Amino acid sequence: MLEVGQFYDLVTSHLEAAFGRRQPRWIRGEVAKVFEKGHLYLDLVDAGSASSDAKRPVLNAHCWTSVWGPLKRRLADEGVSLKPGAIVAVYGYVDVYAPQGKIGFTVSAIDTAGLLGDVARRRRELIERLGAEGLLEANQRVPLSAVPLRVGLVASPGTEGFNDFTGQLLNSGYSFDVRLVTTLVQGDQAPGQIVAALAALDELHLDVICVVRGGGSKGDLACFDDERVARAIATSSTPVWTGIGHTGDESVADLVAHTRAITPTKLGEELVTRVSAWDQRYVRGPAQRIETSYQAVLDEASEFVAERRRTMIFAVRDRLRSEERHLGSVRERLLLESRHLLAAATASLATTRQLLAAYDPQRRLAQGWSLVTRHDGSAVGSLSDVALGDTVTVRVSDGRFDATITQKNGEST
Amino acid sequence: MSNQWNDAAEELNAIVASFDLGEVSVDDLFAKLERATQIIESLEERLTATKAKVEELAPRIARVAASE
Repeated sequence: MLEVGQFYDLVTSHLEAAFGRRQPRWIRGEVAKVFEKGHLYLDLVDAGSASSDAKRPVLNAHCWTSVWGPLKRRLADEGVSLKPGAIVAVYGYVDVYAPQGKIGFTVSAIDTAGLLGDVARRRRELIERLGAEGLLEANQRVPLSAVPLRVGLVASPGTEGFNDFTGQLLNSGYSFDVRLVTTLVQGDQAPGQIVAALAALDELHLDVICVVRGGGSKGDLACFDDERVARAIATSSTPVWTGIGHTGDESVADLVAHTRAITPTKLGEELVTRVSAWDQRYVRGPAQRIETSYQAVLDEASEFVAERRRTMIFAVRDRLRSEERHLGSVRERLLLESRHLLAAATASLATTRQLLAAYDPQRRLAQGWSLVTRHDGSAVGSLSDVALGDTVTVRVSDGRFDATITQKNGEST
Repeated sequence: MSNQWNDAAEELNAIVASFDLGEVSVDDLFAKLERATQIIESLEERLTATKAKVEELAPRIARVAASE
């Protein structure tokens, strides 16, 4: 007959011999309960067993802080947490706690690779579901403003990612109108806040909503693989751009976003580039073309006016000279003809003068002819012009004298 | 503005062309010269005014064109 204590000593020695510290084993199970307070306490059950089954076997496992601490940090870095439903393989050994009559299991290692595989599987399944529902490209189909200056921002102010992103906008020289909704960007509370922020900003009908988070561990970025966040982005009526983590990170949020950048800085750059491209095309480019062409237009107009002014001056001058030449020619012709006429007239006058000279009475008088006139001055050309006793005046070459008619004789006598 | 300039320029061209073709009589010469002078002065005034306005705007355009 054994005492209770002796019985537990016996059982313990047998169990330790078969499953003790020196005989560790791998055990696979589904997390039914998890409790952490420095140490980790897990209830593991057979995977897929119903919780309503009162007879399903349960393994009370515990992992002391010395082991759990490093394990927890490693899992957190990978974005993995032990939650009910997770399938996990634990390595350890049996221990017996006699005061409560419990057989427990001390965990010395956890199969993190398996856990990560499980996380990856669930992530893959989420992406497949979103794809099947057409949500991977849904937000990409939302039209994006050509000039996305009104920006909704989901971020945590003061973080490196926030500063990197807003720094790009501030240094761009463009007047971005940024509406910030502050959220946590890691941790269990983050997904709910991000979803609420997206909804609030979507109602403002902005040009774009940017979700920004700087680099971190996978665990830090796990909230961006959250299904609620992915669905909120995919179904937003505003284009959602993401700049999450650093190069190499690709969250489910990135996959459903309208546009993704590899870092917050790059996201800011892309936003500025889009605005700058529009500015160059529709503002700066035309301004540059105007700047180079308006002077040419003015020069051409000035040259036109100057050339027309010169042309008019020469045209009028030519026209006036032409008229002057014409008048000069006419004048010369008139002068020439006048001279001819004068010469002819002079010649004719000389001839006439010669002719008249032949009939000059003075010349006849010198030849001995005389001119007889009556007292009234009329010439006596016939005997009948005078009567006996009349006094007539006889003009000779060197004077005149009076004579009295004393006898008249006819020509025949 | 553009049409006014073009209309005036066309009228001026027509006057010059009439001189080139020898179609201007002495009787018409003064009238055409006077009209051509009026047009040229009008174009020069408009050009000067436009240049002044451009000079005002040029720095602003330059700023936009050079902005980064």
